[in-house]
Amino acid sequence: MVTDELIAKISSTYPELEIENGLVSIHPLGNDGKVVVYPQTEEEIASVLRFANENQNSVVVMAGGSKRGCGGLEESAEILLSLEKYKGIVEHTLGDMTLTVKAGTPYKEIQNYIAGFNQKIPLDPYALEYATIGGVVSANDSGPKRLGYGSARDSVIGMRIVYPDGTVIRTGGKTVKNVAGYDFNKLFIGSMGTLGVITEITLKLRPLQKYESLVLVTFPDGNPEEIYSFSVTFLNTVMEPTALELLSPALSEKLTGHSCFTLAVCFEDVESAVRYQVEFIEKLKPDTSGFSVLHQESARAFWNLLTKIPPNGAVEYTGPETRASVKIGVKNLDVIKVMKESHLLQDRYNLDIEAHGGLGHGIARIYLNGASDDVMNAIGILRTFAEKLGGYAVLTHLPLVLRRQIDVWGPKPAYSFLFDGIKSKIDPKRILNPKRFVGGI
Amino acid sequence: MARNKLDTNDPHILHLAKLVSGPNAILYKQEDLLAYDCDGFTIERHLPRAVVFPNNTEEVAKIVKFCSENKLPFLARGAGTGLSGGAVPLNNEIIISLVRMKRLLEVDFENRRAVVEPGYVNLKLTNSIADKGYYYAPDPSSQYACTIGGNVAENAGGAHCLKYGVTTNHILGLEVVLPNGDVMEISPNGIADFPGYDLLGLLTGSEGTLGIVTKITVRILKNPEAKQTVLAYFDRVQDGSQAVSNIISAGIVPAALEMMDKVAIEGVEAAAFPVGHPKDIAAVLLIEVDGIAAGIDEQIQLILDVCKKSHVREVKVAEDEAERARWWANRKTGFGAMGAISPDYLVQDGVIPRSKLPEVLERIHKISEESGLRIANIFHAGDGNLHPLVLFDSRVPGDTEKAIRAGSACLKACADAGGSITGEHGVGIEKKEEMRFVFNDDEIKAQTDIRDVFNPDRLLNAGKLFPTPSRCAEMKQELKRPEHAK
Repeated sequence: MVTDELIAKISSTYPELEIENGLVSIHPLGNDGKVVVYPQTEEEIASVLRFANENQNSVVVMAGGSKRGCGGLEESAEILLSLEKYKGIVEHTLGDMTLTVKAGTPYKEIQNYIAGFNQKIPLDPYALEYATIGGVVSANDSGPKRLGYGSARDSVIGMRIVYPDGTVIRTGGKTVKNVAGYDFNKLFIGSMGTLGVITEITLKLRPLQKYESLVLVTFPDGNPEEIYSFSVTFLNTVMEPTALELLSPALSEKLTGHSCFTLAVCFEDVESAVRYQVEFIEKLKPDTSGFSVLHQESARAFWNLLTKIPPNGAVEYTGPETRASVKIGVKNLDVIKVMKESHLLQDRYNLDIEAHGGLGHGIARIYLNGASDDVMNAIGILRTFAEKLGGYAVLTHLPLVLRRQIDVWGPKPAYSFLFDGIKSKIDPKRILNPKRFVGGI
Repeated sequence: MARNKLDTNDPHILHLAKLVSGPNAILYKQEDLLAYDCDGFTIERHLPRAVVFPNNTEEVAKIVKFCSENKLPFLARGAGTGLSGGAVPLNNEIIISLVRMKRLLEVDFENRRAVVEPGYVNLKLTNSIADKGYYYAPDPSSQYACTIGGNVAENAGGAHCLKYGVTTNHILGLEVVLPNGDVMEISPNGIADFPGYDLLGLLTGSEGTLGIVTKITVRILKNPEAKQTVLAYFDRVQDGSQAVSNIISAGIVPAALEMMDKVAIEGVEAAAFPVGHPKDIAAVLLIEVDGIAAGIDEQIQLILDVCKKSHVREVKVAEDEAERARWWANRKTGFGAMGAISPDYLVQDGVIPRSKLPEVLERIHKISEESGLRIANIFHAGDGNLHPLVLFDSRVPGDTEKAIRAGSACLKACADAGGSITGEHGVGIEKKEEMRFVFNDDEIKAQTDIRDVFNPDRLLNAGKLFPTPSRCAEMKQELKRPEHAK
């Protein structure tokens, strides 16, 4: 059988490489491999890619698997290149506040390690228990604190990447500022592993916040104008929130116990500055709004809980419902409209919908749970809604059978020929994560 | 429409003239072209074929399409303040000057963004939104003159990018004319993370080799509630460097952390904005923190403590905005100030991991001794971005070449320390051979492959950014200065 032949061929060429039969059972999210290889060195990664490229074998790249449900139209590629065993910290330069890690290193492990030095990677992606740094960067995952710290493109300063033909290239460097040549880091961040396999990532770190508080401002009337007007007033002050995230009533109930639209406002600074801002916002809030504050550990627990809300490809799900996750990008304050719309869809389609979005960065996340037809209909409406606002909707988690019914990335932009041109230059045989990305790349 | 009668039979010039509107929209006579034979990098000069001044995107697209169809080399130019020669017409290019596209198109305070044309001057943006308490963060020293289009091309930095990032961190959307004349809009409305490869990130800092930006959506920020600036004098450069590391290690992210060495201090004190720095100190640090007023004092105290532990000779906090402004004027005009103590100077732009500061400064000192040229150091110490200023006299035979070699040696020192050859000035013509200090052939090919996707005929700004394939290490020494430049 094909798989056995492939295994035999790979193992005879690379006897040291750990390899196993991949298709034990069919995964509902697809993106599997007929054989799974577990390289432990960059040379092994390059060998696998060179082999696949020469033999025209398709390759899916994965580590923790939390993003297995994002993109891709195949049950299985020939080879699943797992970076699970390619992990570890390569270099942490305390004084430079830079960190180089192998791509398969679990995100949480890194954060825990550098927290010991009062430093952090200023990104707050989801599925922290499973996500690896390589996955976070490849999928360009980001959370509410993007308002304060930006996204992967603002923190990644260098990478090592293996091209499909086995060539290793370095992008960027180890300095926080660098304009030598094209800013190639950007090309690979968010490229869903369609251009190369990222093996090492160098990040710019931030000091761990000295103090942190979370303010919850509730809007019991659910009036979007009121939320808008408060947010505009607040954003026009000199306060410096690191997150200004609007929670839908359903999500708010789960996280805070209040079943109404709630603004989660995060302040991170020295304690005196945090307390000043908390008092400031309390005075500013509408009279009808509820107000509560969580400090330090309890604030962190709230954000941590939020990262566990989205459906996650690494966790086996056998329930009858269809679960989907949508990422919507619109102008910052249009997030309020998106939140309202997703709240209304809940009843129209008999779905559980939990949603949140950043009023300072314009990225919203909507998690749907229900019958597959209802989920798909609601997704269609959300996409149209986002597009009418000039934005987009990407389906960041959806079972394979449904991904085949809808373009998870939405319509191709007019300049997608440039995407094709880039892909063709780097991966001319199209072996890497085929059809995983925009426009069928 | 006003149309000037053209005194030429050149069919290309005559056709180009029809593509642009307004008075004097094309220059083609040698005496008019002289002003465009270089930018802020004055060592290499070439005359363009013509300079055209389009008024809008459509005109840019038409010009580009015409150039592309007729295989005429072309490039875009803003204010011409670039320091690496990115706008020098090496191949007798048609220069598309974007200075007439200088409108502020939109300001959306609520969503914190502004839309500008590429010829809009950096500082004007901040000035025009200051009354509402907003500003545009990237602040290159030339911000009073440089254009935001040029900033995008070079991914310009500035003194305040330690905390707030460089240009690329503030660009939300671009309208671009591709080298074939097609117009595309990336991240319309400045919405984040539009699906697809990050062309926004790729174009920013591509030094005008991938496309011509015709509209830019930038992030604007609210002014911080409070700012405090500290000046610290050190008797030893090592102590100043150590203070830099210790400030960062203390968990402070200063808005700016600048350093000048003894030679640089001599220069700024002899120039237009002296502030009375003692002449005998080895290094001065300018440290700025900003943010919520309630938290500033604590951070300032921490900085004062750190400086004292690092053997500071004297440290003081700016008493008022006027004093702060004086300190900054002294620093921001630092490059030009070298003119007060040297007939010529060459600015370099290396960048290193912060912790390597003492060893790299030591090497630069050696380079200075070996070359017999003085080298002043002005740098963004917080992010490891060094600006060695090699002082020389072009009237002395051989001095210019010596200065170029010393500048290159400084970049080598940075690369060897795990750094890079440019932090914010770009590669341009100046540092293209030095690209080999940091990239191997595969890595350079990976980049030129991507350039060829956008710019397959290499008509747009050719000969920049990448080393010549067959290495000609001594090329720079063969550069000749044209008659008029002497």
